[in-house]
Amino acid sequence: MRPDTPDTMTKADFITGIVLVAFSTIVAVESWRMPRFENTNVNPYSVPGIVPGILSVIIMILGAVLIARSIYRGGHRLGWTSGTVKSTLTAPENKRLFFAVFLTVGYGGGLIGSAPYWLATFLFVFLFILIFDLQSSTTRARKTRVAIVGFVVAAVTSGLVTWVFTEAFLVTLP
Amino acid sequence: MLQNLVSLIDAIYGFASLEALFHVTWATVLGIVIGSLPGLTATMGVALMTTLTYKLPHDLAILVLICMYVGAIYGGSRTAILLNIPGTPASAATTLDGFPLAQSGQAGRAMGIATSGSVLGSIIGMVFLAILAPELADYALQFQSYEFFWLAIFGVVISGHLTALDDPIKGWIAGFLGLLVAMVGREAIHSFDRFSYGIVELTGGFNLIPAMVGAFGFAEVLSVMRRRAAKMVGKSNDSIIPKVGEVLKHWRTILRSGVIGTTIGIIPGVGEDIGAWVSYAAARRASKNKEEYGKGSIEGLMAAETGNSAAVPGALIPVLTLGIPGSAPAAVLLAAMLIHGIIPGPMIMFESPGFIQEVVAMVLFASLAILIFGLSLTRVLLFLLAVPREKLMPIVFVLCAVGSYAITNRLFDIWVMMGFGLAGYVLREMKYPMAPLVLGIILGKILDDNLRRSLVLTDGELLPLFTRPICAVIWIVTLATILMSIESIREPIKGVVRRFIPGSRSN
Repeated sequence: MRPDTPDTMTKADFITGIVLVAFSTIVAVESWRMPRFENTNVNPYSVPGIVPGILSVIIMILGAVLIARSIYRGGHRLGWTSGTVKSTLTAPENKRLFFAVFLTVGYGGGLIGSAPYWLATFLFVFLFILIFDLQSSTTRARKTRVAIVGFVVAAVTSGLVTWVFTEAFLVTLP
Repeated sequence: MLQNLVSLIDAIYGFASLEALFHVTWATVLGIVIGSLPGLTATMGVALMTTLTYKLPHDLAILVLICMYVGAIYGGSRTAILLNIPGTPASAATTLDGFPLAQSGQAGRAMGIATSGSVLGSIIGMVFLAILAPELADYALQFQSYEFFWLAIFGVVISGHLTALDDPIKGWIAGFLGLLVAMVGREAIHSFDRFSYGIVELTGGFNLIPAMVGAFGFAEVLSVMRRRAAKMVGKSNDSIIPKVGEVLKHWRTILRSGVIGTTIGIIPGVGEDIGAWVSYAAARRASKNKEEYGKGSIEGLMAAETGNSAAVPGALIPVLTLGIPGSAPAAVLLAAMLIHGIIPGPMIMFESPGFIQEVVAMVLFASLAILIFGLSLTRVLLFLLAVPREKLMPIVFVLCAVGSYAITNRLFDIWVMMGFGLAGYVLREMKYPMAPLVLGIILGKILDDNLRRSLVLTDGELLPLFTRPICAVIWIVTLATILMSIESIREPIKGVVRRFIPGSRSN
């Protein structure tokens, strides 16, 4: 029996299905465009595009099944309003996620390589602890303690990781 | 057989050095700690440790990784018993009876039983590894391109099915996406750069270790940070040392779960969590005290822990003999072996003679180490469980980043790790299992090379792919798996079975 209001996962499946079909179509086209080396008389079954082409068709079919199943369950009725989007974005767990993504990607994709490794690592760990731990700290004394502990953990982590990789594993850190 | 036994004794003697025992000690303890901490999985531990051990000689590096693997799968039981949160997915079944025992003041007894089950499960799996792996490697010499092609398809389909039982289509999508990811880079027959678009770093394809560190490490960091913090509720006051009589009383459960766990471990990409669940279900079905299950059954706890630990050596059997991992941590182990110049597969007995017996010896040392440290480090582990995630997760991410970078000294691999981490996180949130994805990445090259080679050999004729005896068995099982997951096909078949076998039940 079809439910009256589709659950979040059914809606997510509908969107994922569309993404998969679009993605696999691009892959199929790209596979088709790969060279077939006709002028060198190679066996046509050995050409580079054959396997990715087959895989893209399989993913396309699975994506289409996902869409069809989701539509059957009412997942195409997304029911997005500015209110639901806003409440999703401002939910505490999603805020924590955004902060975590921002800090980690900022460190891995920005800080590493543009600042000395030890400094980048120290700043990342210190800021991470500070941002997440201060949220649950209410008193001034507790906040000071969080900052001190964060500083020590960041300094020890940065120093230890830098030392182990450069001295023990002989890796040239960025 | 006798020669294998001599090689095994040699391997055990070889690892009985101070240096090897030192590595066994720290790697097992670290494995137990990683497995205990919710959010740090065995796969992540083995992947991170691969990046930290690549400078060691190959035998010691693999020893460290196997100790980490065995230790982490066992370590997950601690949190399952004390916090009702499985430290690793493999310990999910342990929570059912472990936590009720802890709540009734028997946490020590539960941990003792879990330790006994894990050690005995590992040893049963190890015996199968020692006996089956050389035989299977010998048998696999008959495999040609056709069989390897079907093995790749079988691996992805069966792994997708068993790791996403509620919605197998998502498991298959994950598996085929993994196969597609493996298509990136220079292909083996014409040296054509596929999907690299002039990016030099992509010509070699995605490096497996950063991809796995991302999918299992970074994605887990994001999951943990999104969730609310778990509170430590359990404690242990009673004795953890298990009573021999109590353990031996469950010898049937131990043997059954050991065999089931090992068998599940052998199935490509399925792994320890399914090993535990299937063992638990089988034990419950066979039990005289079914009503105790879920309320603190010692038998249930023993079955779950024996099953997941037996799956570890089981998962190593296809790694060593076919080059196909039985679980996600085994996939990383496979990649680590390749990094260290060991090429797992049917030729392993010729290219690395004695290596299978070395791995058996490593599992033995790891099993003994979890017995010793599992029983003696209870208080230290309780202290570590109290470390807040806000302090642990940035350190884990630092290790994810530096570990990904260190293998080839490329910043590009940090981007790969983050890309796979973010994609892995989104997929996991939408209930796509990661194990088939990883299996797909490993099997992609096998599938690509062997399908094209087969088609060239038969000049495009598809019939031999279906009519060769081993191929026929594999594709029929694969097709049956797909068909039986479709409700409109499964129900009529069940109806027919019920008509002919009146006593059979649908569940």
